Amino acid sequence: MKIFKFIISKTFLRKPIVSIGMILLLCLANYITFTAARSILSTYQGYRETQSMVQEGVYIANLDPDSGIGDIDRNGTQAVYDSLNNNFNYAFYTDGFMVSIPNNDNMEISLCYMNDEYYELNQFELSQGTDLDFDYQLDEEIPVLIGKGLSKTYPVGSTIKIEETALGHPITLKVQGVLKQNAYHSNYYALNSKTYYNFSILFPVNEDFINHANIDLQLNGLMDLTLLQTTKEEIADLSEVIQDNLGLKFNFFSQEDNYDDFNESYLHSLKIMSITTLVFLVIITCVSVWNALVSILLMLKDFTINLLVGLSYSKLRKIFYGYFGILSSVNLAVVFLITAYSRYGCWLRKDATFATYGLFGLIGMDWLALLVIVLLDIIIGIVIVETMLRKIKKIPISLGVLQ
Amino acid sequence: MSKIIDLSIKEKVYKSKKLQLSILSNFNLEVAAGEKIAIVGESGVGKSSLLNIIGLIDRNYDGEYTLLGSPTNNLHTSELAQWRNQKIGFVLQESALINSMTIEDNIKLPFLYAGSGKKELMPEDFQSVINAIGIKPILKKKPLECSGGEKARAVFARGIIMKPQIILADEPTASLDVENRERIVTLLFKMNKEFNTTIITVTHDLEIANRHDRVIHLERSK
Repeated sequence: MKIFKFIISKTFLRKPIVSIGMILLLCLANYITFTAARSILSTYQGYRETQSMVQEGVYIANLDPDSGIGDIDRNGTQAVYDSLNNNFNYAFYTDGFMVSIPNNDNMEISLCYMNDEYYELNQFELSQGTDLDFDYQLDEEIPVLIGKGLSKTYPVGSTIKIEETALGHPITLKVQGVLKQNAYHSNYYALNSKTYYNFSILFPVNEDFINHANIDLQLNGLMDLTLLQTTKEEIADLSEVIQDNLGLKFNFFSQEDNYDDFNESYLHSLKIMSITTLVFLVIITCVSVWNALVSILLMLKDFTINLLVGLSYSKLRKIFYGYFGILSSVNLAVVFLITAYSRYGCWLRKDATFATYGLFGLIGMDWLALLVIVLLDIIIGIVIVETMLRKIKKIPISLGVLQ
Repeated sequence: MSKIIDLSIKEKVYKSKKLQLSILSNFNLEVAAGEKIAIVGESGVGKSSLLNIIGLIDRNYDGEYTLLGSPTNNLHTSELAQWRNQKIGFVLQESALINSMTIEDNIKLPFLYAGSGKKELMPEDFQSVINAIGIKPILKKKPLECSGGEKARAVFARGIIMKPQIILADEPTASLDVENRERIVTLLFKMNKEFNTTIITVTHDLEIANRHDRVIHLERSK
């Protein structure tokens, strides 16, 4: 340890530009890798979550980008739902309806409406309580699930009074269960994008609720509508109903179609990002090796004197690995702090859909991405240290070196 | 007198992309304890390379080397480093100091690598070396604040501070004036006389070489 401290303080830290250069290069390599790794992990999670939608006869609604906006009224949307209720089995989901209720973190709470079919399809995991009950009357307490962030304020069995905008009058919710922490929902069309349910209320909707809901909820529900056990012919009929009543053109795609679309656009981008990351990493590693070799030349006299008076190559190797370990740890700490601050920022901004829980603020995929950069640093470290040692051994220790 | 160095080199080859150079072909050297040897020869004949081999820095040669009765060819790098620290003292030109450290820290540097339970620096030993060499006033100075002669004496002090059995001196007086040159040579021979230290000096200066017990002329390999 004494020798390590000595070499670091008297040699490496005397050439701060070398150490700073190495830290910056490593930081760049680490941050690029971290971002790419997290994006890939998030996409994988999205794939896994949406696997349940890959079934024969399942089609997901998508408003055609070229669709015009007609005169939409409540009668039109109700007519569409009448057709849906009479002819289809469908999963209904819509979110983003904010409500203000007291909670420990002063978050705006998002109401996520879903029907029985959607709930069954997505298999929500609970940490407390029981599953949603969809067989209720509108004038009763409505059973709901809540995110972990609300569980202290509203334990299972407690009630929440809200001014429900979709129905337009106050209602009472009863907490039936609490979702596992960091429960999320991935976007069907951008699988790496997700919203978290920690500060959400999962609200069960049934036919009666939809029939009494306002136009906003009915229309938004159509945007993410999933038709189950249906055929393309039946869908064509529904498209006509929507076109006639709302003047909107909807497309219906299977999740496999969505995957194809995803593969064409996003996955292609993901591949480009991975290749670019790899190329950047190779370049950064080469520049780091060059930086290390320049540092060796700058410090060669000092190393040589130390080798002459008793420093061994094996000890020098340990010192180099220790030094690189410190640089790598500094970078890991920087990436960790940036990530933790970014996660914490969601809490500061009261961003309910991105607020997450985790060890020191980091969630599972952050830790996995950190693990990836630890492995990367080990590889870069081995390349740099062994190159430095080869360089030192290659230059004969002689008077010439000292001059 | 007992044999302290028994070196037999068949060949030492330097390879580069364009060139392959063979030096010290069929070179044998036996040195007795307490002997003073000078190595002379033109530039490029392998004087410093020979010193590197004797000093256990370079093992990349074809040959056998027994130092202080022990074969060195199979020693681990950490053992070689320990021998360099404990048994061999390097006396080099005055530039061989670490500029970021004081003269005192430069001189004490070998003790950093001595390891626990080995040689310890006794204040009286340190003082006696400092007094003998006459560098007390510059101990707290950095090398760049010292004259060439002062730095040469500091390098010398570091070379002998561990009381080595062998001193390898590589052109120790090359860039010194007459007065300082004489001072260094006197100190070298004093070590030899008082502690029976073996001295091997590489030099271009024939006057200094001739003051050694033996002078070895190295010639270019044919």
